[in-house]
Amino acid sequence: MSAPAHRLDVSLPLFGPEKARKGTETAPTPQIVERPRLVPPPPPVLPGERDEVRDLRALLGGKVTNASELIRALETKRRDELLATTLGPFDALLGGGLPRGKVVELTGRRTAGRFSIVMAALAASTSLGEAAALIDLGDHFDPQIGELTGIDLRRMLWIRPHTMKQAVMSVEMIAAAGFQTVILDAGSHPIRGRRVPAAAWVRLARAAEAHGTVMMIATPYPLTGTASEAHVAARRARPKWIGGGKSPRILAGIEVSVTLEKHRHRKPGAHGAILFRTAESCLA
Amino acid sequence: MPRLACLYVPLFPLAARLRSEPDLKGDAVAIVEGAVNNGHIVAATRRARVKGVRPGQSLAQARSLVPKLIARTRDRECERTAQEALLEVAETFSPRIEDAGGGIVFFDVSGLERHFPNERELAASAIRTADSMSLPARCGIAGSKLAARVAAELPQSPSVVDPGKEIEFLAPLPIERLSPEVDAATTIARWGLSSIGDFASLPESEVAARLGELGRELHYAARGIDPRPLIPRALPPEFREGMELEWPLVALEAFLFIASSALDRLAKRMEIQGFACRRLELTLLLDPDGFHSRAIELPAPTRDVKTMLTLLRLDLEKTPPGGPVIGFSLVAHPDRPRRAQLSLFGPTAVSPEKLATAIARLMSLLGEDRIGAPQTVDGHLPDRFAITTFSPPPPPNLTPEAKPSRPCAAVRVFRPPIPVEVIMRGDTIAEIRSDSEANGPVQSTSGPWPIEEGWWRPAPNVREYWDVELSTGLVYRMYCDGGWMVEGGYD
Repeated sequence: MSAPAHRLDVSLPLFGPEKARKGTETAPTPQIVERPRLVPPPPPVLPGERDEVRDLRALLGGKVTNASELIRALETKRRDELLATTLGPFDALLGGGLPRGKVVELTGRRTAGRFSIVMAALAASTSLGEAAALIDLGDHFDPQIGELTGIDLRRMLWIRPHTMKQAVMSVEMIAAAGFQTVILDAGSHPIRGRRVPAAAWVRLARAAEAHGTVMMIATPYPLTGTASEAHVAARRARPKWIGGGKSPRILAGIEVSVTLEKHRHRKPGAHGAILFRTAESCLA
Repeated sequence: MPRLACLYVPLFPLAARLRSEPDLKGDAVAIVEGAVNNGHIVAATRRARVKGVRPGQSLAQARSLVPKLIARTRDRECERTAQEALLEVAETFSPRIEDAGGGIVFFDVSGLERHFPNERELAASAIRTADSMSLPARCGIAGSKLAARVAAELPQSPSVVDPGKEIEFLAPLPIERLSPEVDAATTIARWGLSSIGDFASLPESEVAARLGELGRELHYAARGIDPRPLIPRALPPEFREGMELEWPLVALEAFLFIASSALDRLAKRMEIQGFACRRLELTLLLDPDGFHSRAIELPAPTRDVKTMLTLLRLDLEKTPPGGPVIGFSLVAHPDRPRRAQLSLFGPTAVSPEKLATAIARLMSLLGEDRIGAPQTVDGHLPDRFAITTFSPPPPPNLTPEAKPSRPCAAVRVFRPPIPVEVIMRGDTIAEIRSDSEANGPVQSTSGPWPIEEGWWRPAPNVREYWDVELSTGLVYRMYCDGGWMVEGGYD
């Protein structure tokens, strides 16, 4: 025979203060018991807090428990970023800039603005404090012009290979070393050295993906095939002149037309125009 | 009471040689002291010993027992590097080590009980580490150097003598374990004493009266008393590996094959100490006499064997030694490898070690002047430049905002400039002719823009620059300094 147990008429909160039993106090005062949570809420946004700190906190949330998770989260965040070349029309074609971990191919014959776009990308990367490498197959880079376009020469590694094979090997080695931006400029037509097999470009694409590198291949004609994420073609436009008559005539710049030929996630065919001004016209 | 460990490599001359020539490990090999024809055997591998080869035999006697016996002369260079490697093994456990020479190293293991469950595990770990350096070592731990050495020499390794039990440990062992002098050993044998314990039970004064001061020291040793303290050695400023070759080498590939294994051993030794190679020195012993030395400066400290080997190959190809090589020595000057700090908010820095390795390999592939950081040079001529060592400043802690840049037209410089023929119409350029794409009638021009540099020199650089647009739409930058050259094209 079992005796009926008394029904509990009180609920004991796990973390709050013990609730008073019925009848022990004549006038129970209602109290709001705030239950503590196991996961503490994020601290309030402090006035004057930097955006980077806020972004990082929002990214990490409450999931990070050790250093390796933090490193992984930071790496994921970095890979989602784009490297904006600050050339508006060019960035717009690629959805905001050069993607990290992907190969972008830029083609264009002489006076098509290809080298100027390369310079702009290098300037953008080095101005962010990143390490950038230019693999200059044609040996065309001039440090004075590079400095004028805004490249931080201390952060730029200049490699001058003799053949295309050496150039591709250099790109792979430099990407594996951890450079954030690697640009291969194949020079003018005809390209030095023999053509490399198509598998080489696939290897470069894998290297870029493995190390989260911004990789741009600037060539006079398409080479990378399916290995590249996007293909932008630069086409020659008219040079701009100023002055004339009695005043001295100056080359003001070259207007370049860029067209998105291929993109894995965007519709091709978009185009834009960029005016590259010469240093002399800027001074004038 | 201190606790001392002893690492002992039995048959050390043989072990040192097999470390340099690991392919011989399974063969019947003997190390010969003196000339090969009339020398005597110092040590032999198990395969040779099983067939009766013993130390002290002449090579002819040994060959009569084992006709296919491989004989190697005693190589002091190999032994020295093996001893250094053994010292470095000990250094991974304790900073207080003593070099006793001949494949014996003592090191202080007091206070290591927190890192290892017991002293036996510590000794086993030391044996494993030595084995990873291709040194078959034994280890003994005791309270004195003598007891530790005797414990290490026992076949059942590792052996540990409990604190204060040195006398009990030594007592049952034969007196030969104390390595007495020959005369003293004969006298003790004549007394009918066989074990250390029997000898230790004799009165000290009586032993000293009969055997002299050496006998007193031996009696102390038999009682487990070792007054000699551990004398720690200073850290070496460099790492050295080398070898004397059996026959002269004339081919580069053959030498690099041997040098590769020496570099591998160097890299392992530096890794144990947490160092990387900053400068590599090579000394080649030439036949019949003379030597050839060279030094290779590395762009940054590295332990990458491939990189060091490639640099060595290029250097030897550039300046080959003047004769056949009969020995070599590689010296690595160590430095701490550079480390990069992970940034939370800024761009990540390139790992200095990876960077150094990549640059060294690219330099060997392309040439030293083909890679580096570009630098402008003072002067007015636009085609001047310099290349310096790439050493980027540390990245900022916070990624700066991207500044909207002003698109600037770049000039693709032609090195060397393209010579062209120019047809003038009045003061302006009408047409240019060449074998390249810079060929055709000119549509628009801008210039001349004179540049003069070095007017104080007998032949100053005077140029007149022009920008020209061809009818094909190509835009070039040209200059005239007596002849016409196309310096570059706008691109």
